[in-house]
Amino acid sequence: MSNNRDDKLKASVAAISRRAVLKGLGTAGAAGLALGVLPGLGGRANAAEETTIRWWSPQASPEQLKMYQAQIAAFEAANPGVKVLFEPTSDEGYPAQLAAAFAAKQVPNIVTHLPSFAAQNYYGQGLLEPMDDVIKAIGEANYFPGANDVYKTADGHYCGTAIGNTAADMLWLRKDLMEKAGIDKAPETWDELRTAVSKMQGGGIYGAPLPYGLNSMTSLIFIGFIHRAGGQVFTKDLDIALDSDATYKALDFYKSMREFCPPGATNYSWGESLTAFVSGATATGIYAGRVLANVTAQNPTIAPHVTCAVYPTISKDVAPWTFNDFPSVMMPKDAGNLDATKKFAAFLFEPAGYIPQLHAAPGHVLPVLKTVADNPAYLDNAIIKAYPNEVALMAKAAAAGKNLGYENDGYKPNLKANEIIASNAIAELVQRVVLNGDDAKTAVGDISGKIEAIMKG
Amino acid sequence: MTPLERRYALLGLALIAPTVLILTAVIVYPLLSAIYLSFFSIYTPTLAGKAVGLENYRTILSSAYFWHALWTTFVWTAGTLVLQIGFGVGMALLLNQNILFRSLARSLVLFPYFISTVVAVLVWRWLFNDLYGILNHLLIAAGVIDMPVDWLGSMPNAMVSVITVGAWKFFPFVVIAVLARLQTIPEHLYEAARIDGAGTFSRFTDVTLPQLRDVLSIVILLRIIWDFKEFDLIYLLTGGGPMDNTRTLPLIVYQQAFGLNQMGMAAAYAVAMMVVMLVFMLAYLAYSRDRSTP
Repeated sequence: MSNNRDDKLKASVAAISRRAVLKGLGTAGAAGLALGVLPGLGGRANAAEETTIRWWSPQASPEQLKMYQAQIAAFEAANPGVKVLFEPTSDEGYPAQLAAAFAAKQVPNIVTHLPSFAAQNYYGQGLLEPMDDVIKAIGEANYFPGANDVYKTADGHYCGTAIGNTAADMLWLRKDLMEKAGIDKAPETWDELRTAVSKMQGGGIYGAPLPYGLNSMTSLIFIGFIHRAGGQVFTKDLDIALDSDATYKALDFYKSMREFCPPGATNYSWGESLTAFVSGATATGIYAGRVLANVTAQNPTIAPHVTCAVYPTISKDVAPWTFNDFPSVMMPKDAGNLDATKKFAAFLFEPAGYIPQLHAAPGHVLPVLKTVADNPAYLDNAIIKAYPNEVALMAKAAAAGKNLGYENDGYKPNLKANEIIASNAIAELVQRVVLNGDDAKTAVGDISGKIEAIMKG
Repeated sequence: MTPLERRYALLGLALIAPTVLILTAVIVYPLLSAIYLSFFSIYTPTLAGKAVGLENYRTILSSAYFWHALWTTFVWTAGTLVLQIGFGVGMALLLNQNILFRSLARSLVLFPYFISTVVAVLVWRWLFNDLYGILNHLLIAAGVIDMPVDWLGSMPNAMVSVITVGAWKFFPFVVIAVLARLQTIPEHLYEAARIDGAGTFSRFTDVTLPQLRDVLSIVILLRIIWDFKEFDLIYLLTGGGPMDNTRTLPLIVYQQAFGLNQMGMAAAYAVAMMVVMLVFMLAYLAYSRDRSTP
């Protein structure tokens, strides 16, 4: 495949050269003169021979960017003639940006930290290169067992590989507020959670920052609540299973929590929800491990009191369910420079760069390489040392985590999960029932129809 | 036609050709492409698809979603337009007076128009924020409200907020156009009105407004067209929510094309939008023709 591409490239270069020569020797002469007169332009001609790798990621906090730049610098030093260009995207914006990039065939060479279901979706459309060579280069045995299962494809390849694990919907708590409210342990059921937040709410502090916005966070978070009520969005064979008691109970609970959430939660996405807890405006939070770094840096007075638990379920009979978006690495097919890209993808996992990258958001992106998780250099981090139980709990929860692309063990990968989330259909269900007071049965029926249309589309 | 006239005609054609070619490339070609795409079902990332004839249009016209979005677009356009015109004319009248720091004020008033929409929306989102926003803080401090108001997540607040921010962002355009016209109104008209005993309000209605009619008509038509297709401000402020209550047609085009990856359906929505905008254009052309007829 890469040979064909090289041949095409050579052919097009040859065609351009012929056309350029025929079109005007004068222009070429002028260009040559300019190169001679302006040495700087000669340098640019050399620079044009460089291989450029464009790297997209939605994980781009200032700390993470610093670590990416260090990895890029190390890779460029080890691979003269290769330049890596980092371009941030966003959790809410990537489906549109990538759709436009794929359509225009202006795709990045490598995309990291998108959910696993995005990789499955794009691979299913023939838009990605398999990652088998990269996984081999990293060393399959170095991963935690099953870390790449969500990337297995129907044709026996891997559409991506895991760059980390994230327990995205942990229940964050403040021990000081719990103590003040007479709560001695983290809530395990929805009733306990409701009681706890009602006791902790007051004095300008709200109970929880659950999202009710028309966005992907609301969809992804609410899917977790359906599971925590014992339900599913799809069956094992990917038939829609939204019309179930579990969905209605989840909607009831979500509605009952509205009074404990800030008024603006109707427009909350990840950033607002995180900020609400970190700033101390809410007594509980629902987020991944980034909370630890943010409270330490931005609100150190509450930092010693912060802890986390898996989000409560409807009853103790229903097992916890954690949303893990399985942050991925994938390589769009049309980008070219495949060999250099594969080399760079594998390079991202080398401990010298991978560990600082994980440390940029300690506890948020958790290691998928067991060789790194046990590495003393990884454990030697102030936040990981300060919150060992929380980080261990998130690692355990994330390892057992699932998402809409892979709702349960033994399920088929859902290649349309990316589009279902991007459509905001689930968020619309939440808004209709919770904010608009629509009949739940009617709303579930309408939304099931929308999802079915996406599945068929 | 003499040879000289023929040569002049050819020269004219040659001179106009680049403009025609550029307009064809940037307007006619995309327009025809959009119409062509609207007859297909196309998956955006791969651009693969099949012809579906008029099916996309049938789906659109039979869906309440489209009509609701069209109504929402009208509400947004009308709401923000009224505020822009009212505030814009008022500010232009003020800046036409001999006030202190007039030059500085004239520069500052343009600020919202020149600021990037993304930056403007971020600032307004913070102003509207329920927990830290200055707006809620001031209202609570003044005793107007007890609890923070949800400005962007509930109706009708979300629509009111979007309309207000839109008016703030775009009213300077009205100010520029109206102020330029105000400065050319002959002073003797006002003097004559004063001699006839006209007060301030009468001078405004009998002298200023008739003089502004032409420029206001053009400004209103242009703003209707521009506001009708406004995307970034609304998308960034509310994303179309709550529910679909601020989801205007341009937001649907974006959602169909890049959220649901249905490029053909997105093109059909865009064409439907274009038809509605064509009505405004025809109104504008009819108006221009009427004005130019002696």
